[in-house]
Amino acid sequence: MVSTEERLARLLAVVPWVAAHDGPTLEEVSERFGIPTDELVEDLNLLFMCGVYPFTPDALIEVDIEGGRVWVRFADWFRRPARLSAPEGLALLAAGRALLAAPGLLGPSAGGDGPLAKAVAKLEAALGTDLAGAVDVEPGEAAPEVLRALRSASESRRKARIEYYSFGRDATTQRVVHPWKVFSAEGHWYLVGWCELAEDRRLFRVDRVQSVALMEEGFDPPAGIGSPELYEGRPEDPVVVLDLAPEARWVAERYPHEGVKELKGGRLRARFRVSSWAWLGRLLLRAGPSVRVVSGAEGVAAAAARQVLARYDQVTSER
Amino acid sequence: MDRLERLVNLVVALLDTRRPLTREQIVERVGGYGGKEAAVRRTFERDKELLRQMGIPVLSENFEDGQVGYWVPRELYEMPDPGLDEDEMMALSLAASLVAFQAEGHSEESSSTLTSALRKLAGAPEAPGPVLGRGLEGSLVGVPLEPSLATIFAGLSERRSLGFGYAGLSRRVDPYRLSFRDGHWYLSGFDHARGAERLYRVDRIEGEVNLVSPPAAFERPPSALAGPPPPWRLGDEPPVVVELQVDASQAGFVRRLAGEEAVYETGPAGEARFRLEVTDRAGFRNFVLGLLDHAEVLSPPQVREEIVNWLKAIAARRR
Repeated sequence: MVSTEERLARLLAVVPWVAAHDGPTLEEVSERFGIPTDELVEDLNLLFMCGVYPFTPDALIEVDIEGGRVWVRFADWFRRPARLSAPEGLALLAAGRALLAAPGLLGPSAGGDGPLAKAVAKLEAALGTDLAGAVDVEPGEAAPEVLRALRSASESRRKARIEYYSFGRDATTQRVVHPWKVFSAEGHWYLVGWCELAEDRRLFRVDRVQSVALMEEGFDPPAGIGSPELYEGRPEDPVVVLDLAPEARWVAERYPHEGVKELKGGRLRARFRVSSWAWLGRLLLRAGPSVRVVSGAEGVAAAAARQVLARYDQVTSER
Repeated sequence: MDRLERLVNLVVALLDTRRPLTREQIVERVGGYGGKEAAVRRTFERDKELLRQMGIPVLSENFEDGQVGYWVPRELYEMPDPGLDEDEMMALSLAASLVAFQAEGHSEESSSTLTSALRKLAGAPEAPGPVLGRGLEGSLVGVPLEPSLATIFAGLSERRSLGFGYAGLSRRVDPYRLSFRDGHWYLSGFDHARGAERLYRVDRIEGEVNLVSPPAAFERPPSALAGPPPPWRLGDEPPVVVELQVDASQAGFVRRLAGEEAVYETGPAGEARFRLEVTDRAGFRNFVLGLLDHAEVLSPPQVREEIVNWLKAIAARRR
């Protein structure tokens, strides 16, 4: 069910264009504005009764629908569409900026002087004074050639051999992947696909892919990949309970957990399924005193700290 | 009378009038407002708010007799010609089809923001070509949309000061730039109380953002057009130059974050040494510990010691 607000908004957009053209077909209008034909006809028929007081025939908008074509006359109030609202302007500009910041993703049209860059500049000029460059969107840091190669492998459905630094395991490996989909979420580029090394579906951070080589061999992607969850706990992963100080509560917002309990002083106790000890170790190193292990990961923090201390020639004894 | 019909007539009446109209005059001219006076008043208020939410500039003026008059000035309502050619329109529409804005729990509502923006562009009499994008593969880039972004963007495009709470203080800020980095929106602007440019994370703004000045209240300095700094430069502390050695496996990542100019030495295997100007020691520690034992602070001694002491405290923990 389309809301009245949306019906009004799209009608106010459709009328100026139809009125300025000599009887476009309903199909053309429906396609141009992305509105199903039956809804379009219903809304246009309603417009036929609109106008100004005292609603005598000469004060009404005229709509003719005949032989699959449509004419709108005497709608001078709507000679132009409404200005973009602030959310609309921001959304369009941000979408344009996001793709401009992903070099090579869309081919040559996304280049610095391509149509998208020009469109964004014109939009900035139309939306405000002095807005040039005032909104920018970085969908993720990634080497352009890696991003381009992965996209191209994904589009041509060819397997790729990648060299990958696994943050979770802190190791670099060579693996053959079937790149199902490349996407950006939460400010990072990801690749989701089948990994022949793991013999399972895997999610890779594109900025940790160190090199890509396209292979001759193709693959068939499964149906309905969608946008996968970024953090997936598996039921077989061990449970770790953490106490989070107020400044570390974000950990429970960002990562999926299996329940939280409020403690006094704004502290939070949360249960997580942890699939990677290196991930947990890194979290504990960064958080320092603000995250404490309650159960399930005794010694993980200390081991991670000792590993880094060794680099500083600081040998510490195990307790 | 259908609600849509009443709303179209309301927009027509407000655009058509040369002087502000009182509620009684509007109700009489538009029709469709049935019921008791209180009900009529409520319905009218709801309609007026709906138009404002859509971005239609419903202005109001207080008359001497205490009544309020309303109207929509054409020059504020109508979208000026952004001058997009066919290629530019297609590029923008493609960009819009590849980006999904995720409001908390309302992904559908926000995707309609982009659709309604494109429809407005398509509705201009001079607008070229096919407009609504047909995303073949679904969205590629996900960007969160906080509710306060629309107001911030309005401040940015109209150069109006913003009022909001941040870190327990109430601020008045001239907005200079809105950037999406690392999964978060950042606002940079001139903080009146501090008398200097500051950076705010939008999701940490406390409560509502309000427009607190008329348009064109300030000039944006050209120097404001730099993106948000890396994590070690987010603070206010006196700058310290830190020398950091990074292994080859992580050097590419650090290069992208710090910039090539930060590299002062490169080793045979691809390892690199960086000079970083640190103004946020906690941000720096967080960054450097994320690299585990693939990086080492070489100097100055007190920063090296801070890291070592932090790690020793964790190494001494049992949990």
